[in-house]
Amino acid sequence: MKKHNDVTSLARDSRFERLSLEDQFSDPRNAVMVGRTGGTGMRRRLDPARPGSPDRARSLMHGIFTGEIQALEGAGRTCFDFEVGTGDDEVPFELKLDMARQCWDEARHCEISVKLGEWMGTEIGEFAETTVLFEAACNPDPVLRLTGVNRALEGLAIDVFNTMREFGAETGDPLLHFCEDWMLADEVTHVKMGSDWLRRLTEKDPERRSRALEFQRVVDKLFSGAGFRGEEEDSTIRLARRFRELAGFSTDEIDEISELSRQSRDEARARIAQRALTEAS
Amino acid sequence: MADAKKPRAAFAPWDRRELPGSFTVEETAKRVGHYKWVEMRLFEALGGWVPTVPELDVKMRLGTHTYHHAWHADLWNKRLPELREMNPERLTAPANDHIVEFFEAMTEPEAPEQTIEKLVGVYRVLIPAKIAAYTYHLNNTSTITDAPTIRSIKFILHDEYEDWTNGEMLLQSLIETDDEIERAAAQQIRLEKILLKAGGIVGPGSLGGESQASAETVGAPA
Ligand SMILES: [Fe+2]
Repeated sequence: MKKHNDVTSLARDSRFERLSLEDQFSDPRNAVMVGRTGGTGMRRRLDPARPGSPDRARSLMHGIFTGEIQALEGAGRTCFDFEVGTGDDEVPFELKLDMARQCWDEARHCEISVKLGEWMGTEIGEFAETTVLFEAACNPDPVLRLTGVNRALEGLAIDVFNTMREFGAETGDPLLHFCEDWMLADEVTHVKMGSDWLRRLTEKDPERRSRALEFQRVVDKLFSGAGFRGEEEDSTIRLARRFRELAGFSTDEIDEISELSRQSRDEARARIAQRALTEAS
Repeated sequence: MADAKKPRAAFAPWDRRELPGSFTVEETAKRVGHYKWVEMRLFEALGGWVPTVPELDVKMRLGTHTYHHAWHADLWNKRLPELREMNPERLTAPANDHIVEFFEAMTEPEAPEQTIEKLVGVYRVLIPAKIAAYTYHLNNTSTITDAPTIRSIKFILHDEYEDWTNGEMLLQSLIETDDEIERAAAQQIRLEKILLKAGGIVGPGSLGGESQASAETVGAPA
């Protein structure tokens, strides 16, 4: 088996359909929603009172499920891709153990997501899969990989699980609330792993640390797309400040993600306005 | 309890533990180092295979088992300094070149169509060999002086039996044709031959036998 695979190596059964992130963001169905709501399209709060919310929750749950598979795959590859050592392309033994533990956790998350999907009336493959998480997990620098996956994407998972947990409470779905609460505990652990390893491995290498944080910023911005995740009242996914703090994020870092989301949302609004102008002329 | 001051035997009548055992401290450390090496190669391989396997149930099981073997590697890593090996990396080594060859051959299947070959290597060859070597160790070490190793082996064996059953059941559910039976058998034969040359997961003496004859029970009264 060769080291350092890429996204083409992801093996799936016939139910799964893959979609690029650009395709997902440029899906015309989202644009229709933009026109109708006058807001930012699909990017709006998961409100149980709105008629489309069960479908959006099912879609989000399926996204969580495919994200969990890729998180499992990424952690597995990190166990395999790097030798134990002190070089830049090597990792401490304990980091590999952490990744193995994460494999188990993500395998459980897959199991939980499959069952929750069924519970919500969704079939595997009903929604498309994007592969950004695994792409971040292919970074050849273990520090960048952990920062991109464990801090940016698992950080997003904290926000998502917290949102879904609240949605479970609001809709009177105790099973959803219960499961999301458990997964949230695991994700805080994973993000903390990322924060701890980033600090330890770059203690004497500020340049590597800033490269890792830049990579995290890129990934964070990608998932703040059009205000999908942010602190605004109508963001689909609300930034979970308290849990991020538990996972080792400083207030400044959380503020920065919030600002990235705001910028991303403003850019999306400008794009929509521009499109409307073009269409009208 | 009528009289708290009444002398009692230090070892209760049902406690049959004994001092003699087949391994010195040095031999135990060497063996434990080989175990750690094997557990590491195994958990890395399982983790590496996760993306390459299309079957969802197998994918999730491999993820769970990855952690089991990493935990075993951690147990052995912690045991080494207790056996006077202050640099655990020194003894984290394969028993011989054949065991390295074995792992290379076991991890060779990579394509998504090769789940059977992947699982056969782990669940029909390696894990049974691990169970054998661990059980030999468990049954032959000093039940008093080496109690910490025994405790770890017992925890590990619990995982191994469960994972073995899991893996075998996955295989039985995946194998549906004569051709697939032959593929599974061919991979098993190929790997068994290499493992035979290696002498088991910790080399000749994995199950005692000739090479262990020199290490007569240590500590037995003459
Ligand atoms: Fe997860």
